[in-house]
Amino acid sequence: MSNVIGIIRALNSGVKHLAIKRFTLRYPEQKLKFVGDGFQFNPETGVGIAGLRGRHILFHEHCTGCQLCSVACEGIAEAISMVKIHETWKHNKKAIMPQIDYGKCVFCGLCVDACPFYALYMTNDYELSSFTKSALIYTPAQLAIKPNIAQDVEIKIDDRGASHG
Amino acid sequence: MTTQLPPGMHLETVDDKIMTLNVGPQHPGSGHMRLIIKVDGDYIVSCDPDPGYVHRGEEKMAEYRNYIQNIPHLERPVIHDSSNILYPYCLGVEELLGIEVPERAKYIRVIAAELNRCIYILYWLAIYGIFLGHSTMFMWPAGDRELFIDLLEAMSGARVTHAYLVPGGVRNDLPSNFEERCLRQVEYFEKRLKEYEAVFYQNPLLKARTEGSGILSRTDAIRLGTTGSVLRASGVDFDVRKKEPYDVYENLDFQTIVMKEGDSYARSRVPYLEMFESCRIIKDALRKMPKSGSVRTKLKPNPKGGNDEVYRRVESGRGAIGYYIVSNNRPEPYRVKISVGSFRNLICMPYLLKGEKLGNMPAVYWGLNYWPVEADR
Ligand code: SF4
Ligand code: SF4
Repeated sequence: MSNVIGIIRALNSGVKHLAIKRFTLRYPEQKLKFVGDGFQFNPETGVGIAGLRGRHILFHEHCTGCQLCSVACEGIAEAISMVKIHETWKHNKKAIMPQIDYGKCVFCGLCVDACPFYALYMTNDYELSSFTKSALIYTPAQLAIKPNIAQDVEIKIDDRGASHG
Repeated sequence: MTTQLPPGMHLETVDDKIMTLNVGPQHPGSGHMRLIIKVDGDYIVSCDPDPGYVHRGEEKMAEYRNYIQNIPHLERPVIHDSSNILYPYCLGVEELLGIEVPERAKYIRVIAAELNRCIYILYWLAIYGIFLGHSTMFMWPAGDRELFIDLLEAMSGARVTHAYLVPGGVRNDLPSNFEERCLRQVEYFEKRLKEYEAVFYQNPLLKARTEGSGILSRTDAIRLGTTGSVLRASGVDFDVRKKEPYDVYENLDFQTIVMKEGDSYARSRVPYLEMFESCRIIKDALRKMPKSGSVRTKLKPNPKGGNDEVYRRVESGRGAIGYYIVSNNRPEPYRVKISVGSFRNLICMPYLLKGEKLGNMPAVYWGLNYWPVEADR
């Protein structure tokens, strides 16, 4: 008898959820909101600023071609290689800038920590799929573009449960 | 005719009544592993676990990378519990390099570790549910896990493999209004957790399958060297967080969950009850945390450890994780030895499964909190 009561109780607590909004995020239509503009580094405090660690963004006017990001990545994923850029960038005497292979990158963000000129940050863009491997290699020109994505859904919690918008 | 066998190998005598069953090497929810089980009808005569399919050479890799570059690959063995597996490494390197960690960073690390423990246990519980054919218990924890993943994502910027803890503190400060959001989601989660009780733990079907199966006595648990929830489910009051408190655990208010039965049911229940304690720790830490201040002590570029060695351990979701690190005046460690709870708990599998029904095997196996990828490293 107690078994029957236990099973009914278990079923009952599951059935209650029929009336509650689903928790699921309908992904391609809805996108989760993240804090901030992506992972950045604060020069004053010497620590990072919280944000999603997605695709990188490279500020060409700050990058001096010092290669420290590439050195940092060497022991991690070897995703960064330095490539030649046009000689007209005066402040970048070596005329090289990082190029990132997202087939290898693990999004640890340690290259952002390593960049002494705050030229390399990360953005909220995480949708990097492509049909070919070579399309995953982002050149300095591609890395300079700020992604434009709508991410606005948040978890809502009320007395009846939690849901995504 | 006798053939010469290579040393270490022997021919097995075959008994017609006994059948050998290869469970695996497949991916039973967490990583590749194989159990060689001999069955007599429905009953298991012997069980021989065969780990090692997901060996990645983490320890060797650590010898070629400097103390910071080691962070991303050392958390790969348990991506669901990455803060906890990195924790003893950070503690050890801090001791080697003589770094002082700011007070606020210590609290943030504890919060990250407890959130990660919940993520791990919920994942574990989801797989436990589906192993026993209980799909509600798969969906609910997998959904509620999202609450904690979102919190850790706000903290660290990644959903799994956070690379958040570093020697010297944490990578970045908490985002604004994190405390409030964390408190709201943790309180909601505690309410949710109570619903699991009726649907899973008081469910007569679960009790019938797990109660009294795979009993590990208190003396055996100690003798076989098990750790974590397996040890506590056998009535041993041992938790590294209590016995050797690291960072700020001594200031926080929580209890060790101990159950006496030592059967599969107790082993499935102890992690569940631990989640309540984790929520308590998180709420307490949020209250006691200094509201501002530094969170990371800057290291010198390419820091070198002296001629020294250090062993530190922490309590993870699967038991004690210990790191033994040797340095020899170089930027890279000379040796990193990782001792994990999963591997220790695997040892008692042959003892527990003997005489058990084959149908009870998944419940006993998964109750041991064994994570193949972590055990193989
Ligand atoms: S995020 Fe990590 S893996 Fe990716 S490029 Fe930077 S250092 Fe390399
Ligand atoms: S991104 Fe930063 S670290 Fe990399 S080359 Fe440019 S300035 Fe140097």
